[in-house]
Amino acid sequence: MTQFERGQLQRIRLHVLPTKRFKTFAISMFAGLTLDEATVTPVALIPFVLRRGTADTPETIAFREKLDDLYGAGFGFDVYKRGDSQIVQFRMDVINEKFVSSNQSLLAASLHFLGDVITDPLIDNNGFRAKYVDAEKTTLKKRLESIVNDKIRYAAERCLEEMCANEPYRLHPLGKLEEINAITPTSLYEHYKEWLDNAALDLYVVGDTTLDEVSQLVKSAFKVNEGAPSPYVRPKVDHVVKEVKKVTDRMEVSQGKLNLGLRIGVGYDDDAYPAALMYNGILGGYPHSKLFLNVREKESLAYYAASRLDGHKGICTIQSGIEFANYDRAVAIIQAQLESMKQGELSELELDQTKAMISNHLRELQDSAYEMIAYDFNSVLTGKQRSAQQLLEQVQAVTAADIVKVAERVQLDTIYFLRDRKEA
Amino acid sequence: MQTLNYPNVQETLYRVVLDNGLEVIVLPKEGFNKTYATFSTKYGSVDNRFSVGNQPPVQVPDGIAHFLEHKMFEEPTGDIFAVFASQGASANAFTSFDRTVYLFSATEQINENLETLINFVQNPYFTDANVEKEKGIIEQEINMYRDNADWRVYFGLIDALYHEHPVHIDIAGTAESIRQIDKETLYRCYETFYHPSNMLLFVVGGVKADEVFELIRANQAGKSFEPQGEIKRYFEEEPASVKITRKVTELPVSLPKCMMGFKERHVNLTGEALLRQEVTTKLMLDALIGPSSKLYQQLYENDLISDSFGHEFNSSSGYAFSVIGGDTPNPDELLKQFRSAVEDILKTGIEPAAFERSKRKKIGGYLRMLNSPEAIAGEFTRYRFRDSNMFDVLDFYESCTLEDVNQRLREHFDFNQLAVSIVEQPAK
Repeated sequence: MTQFERGQLQRIRLHVLPTKRFKTFAISMFAGLTLDEATVTPVALIPFVLRRGTADTPETIAFREKLDDLYGAGFGFDVYKRGDSQIVQFRMDVINEKFVSSNQSLLAASLHFLGDVITDPLIDNNGFRAKYVDAEKTTLKKRLESIVNDKIRYAAERCLEEMCANEPYRLHPLGKLEEINAITPTSLYEHYKEWLDNAALDLYVVGDTTLDEVSQLVKSAFKVNEGAPSPYVRPKVDHVVKEVKKVTDRMEVSQGKLNLGLRIGVGYDDDAYPAALMYNGILGGYPHSKLFLNVREKESLAYYAASRLDGHKGICTIQSGIEFANYDRAVAIIQAQLESMKQGELSELELDQTKAMISNHLRELQDSAYEMIAYDFNSVLTGKQRSAQQLLEQVQAVTAADIVKVAERVQLDTIYFLRDRKEA
Repeated sequence: MQTLNYPNVQETLYRVVLDNGLEVIVLPKEGFNKTYATFSTKYGSVDNRFSVGNQPPVQVPDGIAHFLEHKMFEEPTGDIFAVFASQGASANAFTSFDRTVYLFSATEQINENLETLINFVQNPYFTDANVEKEKGIIEQEINMYRDNADWRVYFGLIDALYHEHPVHIDIAGTAESIRQIDKETLYRCYETFYHPSNMLLFVVGGVKADEVFELIRANQAGKSFEPQGEIKRYFEEEPASVKITRKVTELPVSLPKCMMGFKERHVNLTGEALLRQEVTTKLMLDALIGPSSKLYQQLYENDLISDSFGHEFNSSSGYAFSVIGGDTPNPDELLKQFRSAVEDILKTGIEPAAFERSKRKKIGGYLRMLNSPEAIAGEFTRYRFRDSNMFDVLDFYESCTLEDVNQRLREHFDFNQLAVSIVEQPAK
């Protein structure tokens, strides 16, 4: 497997993977700050405003046209949580010019574009352009209000919010609705400067290039202050559950959304992480897993019944869509699966199947530039160096006893149910 | 074995049609760990009335193609997911309007996984009990989509556009329609549409073409299929007009969702002409209302649209329509401003610079798509079932002219052919 080459330019860590396998260059810039009630909302708003225009190209329409001229370069951003950090990720995706009749370097043009967006924004009177800030405040509000539209996601986020009510992780990565109005073009610009000076910055490039070439291009394209790159803060993953929290919300829905939150006490950098991956895989990661087989195939209670592991927060979540009246039955069946994991009811077949699936996933991610970037970024976040190949070997070595040890650390924390308005 | 070279995108395809009619295509991708394979039948939710050879036509319950897809995963020996899992493959399937696709992706045991894929799809196992059991699961799948506002606004639009054509029926059917499904009807549909001559196997990734062909040949040689007469599909005459001009669905949403659709009057295109129409329409829509268009910016600045605003074009022989829209605080104002702007552009045509930009963008998007084995397999099959070739798309984009796009603009935007679907908060 090819390796990322590492470099550094002022506050930016550079990660470059030279490869001829793709017809494109994939570029990602991660900017991470510790999740904080005081900054979560303005930080979420920053990328929305940055994508409206730069000092060089102030008008949004011209800004978008520039992207079209780069053969429709993909450009986007995302704001999400990892561990206790709020991460703004900018993404660009541009074709290698050798496939089209272009004589400009599309990589150079894209890095310049991204450098302008992030480090050379449009400034009017010591603040961002008021018109853009107003419009993007509305956009951010709509985004936060729209969380309720997707009932499956809404239930998943409500479950986490209840579960982590006393931790920064309760915060939505897009911030708090009620704090948007107070933001002004100048206050946002102050937050922006602080963000750029303090965020952990990691720039990734995957494609037919070299670390040298990228370093040169970044040097001329990004205006970042001198200084050392910022590290990420490791989140606390041990948590003692005193009592299982049960929450029910009511809304006009046709189907009940049942979500359970578990504390697994194992983080990405823990030696037990490969066993935690196996725990999640056997419990509910796949169509051969206990949840799928017992909730769906045996009982026909649901179309989906699955679990997901968040190694950065040490949390495992379970989600299923059921008839309202089947709540007690579904909860009982799910709890029985958790108990059977603890009792070590793990067959050789389940172990083999789950190892094969996780290994396949780890090999497949080598075929996608963005997946390779996302995997590598885990090591930046946690300080834990573990290549996909190493993780694959560690997963292969996991025993039933290792999984039971994880199961013994697992604590059910929250049972959340989104249901209709009719009283039962 | 047929070798098809596409030097402009540096790809080579290998193709074989076996004696039993099965078409097999292999696209080796050097340096890729993963192999992705799809085994597809040209059979989807719209194929609800059909005949084979000289037999009389039959009408089958709505949602049966999707039901059949679910049931294929069950074998007398158990669930096929378990077999794939033991072989390190992640498997799945989906049903669309005009096809059903079974797939896996894996990095090891490719031969075993290919055999499993072909064997399970060619081995139906339906019993009264396992058919009954599936009804509960599918009913929950239908309920899940009932709560999904994006899905409801989209299918609401198709329902508003079409009177008769089964494209307006939900792919999964309804709780009532799936209750009518029994194992006899499932076998009937299976035997009609899962004959090798109605199917396509596409394999892309780190494989060698001759090895794949050898394996498939040997596998098929061990099975016998009766030659099958021609499959005929029957559709009621579809009026040119839309069924309902405005359809409103109530669901709890933060902002109304509004989608506009223009129904094409002429839908008798096939093969290359159908593909060319699709390419030209997509280019036209991007130039008109893509994120860098004036119209998009105007609507965004007037707070009538958000990042969710998008467009697509769906076409096949028998139906063709655009879908334009997203979340909006004011559907009526959005419609008004959209209509007035489009009517202006109908007079002047698309700006040449906007056309050139959209063309570049579409070419770039097409090339980026070729990085993804999943997208290649999906798009290739979709086009192949319409007797066209995905690898012609690049040429069509390159040869598309401003006149072509303006002609398409005038043909497509006929406001008599507009239907609107809205999902909004229930009135208090």
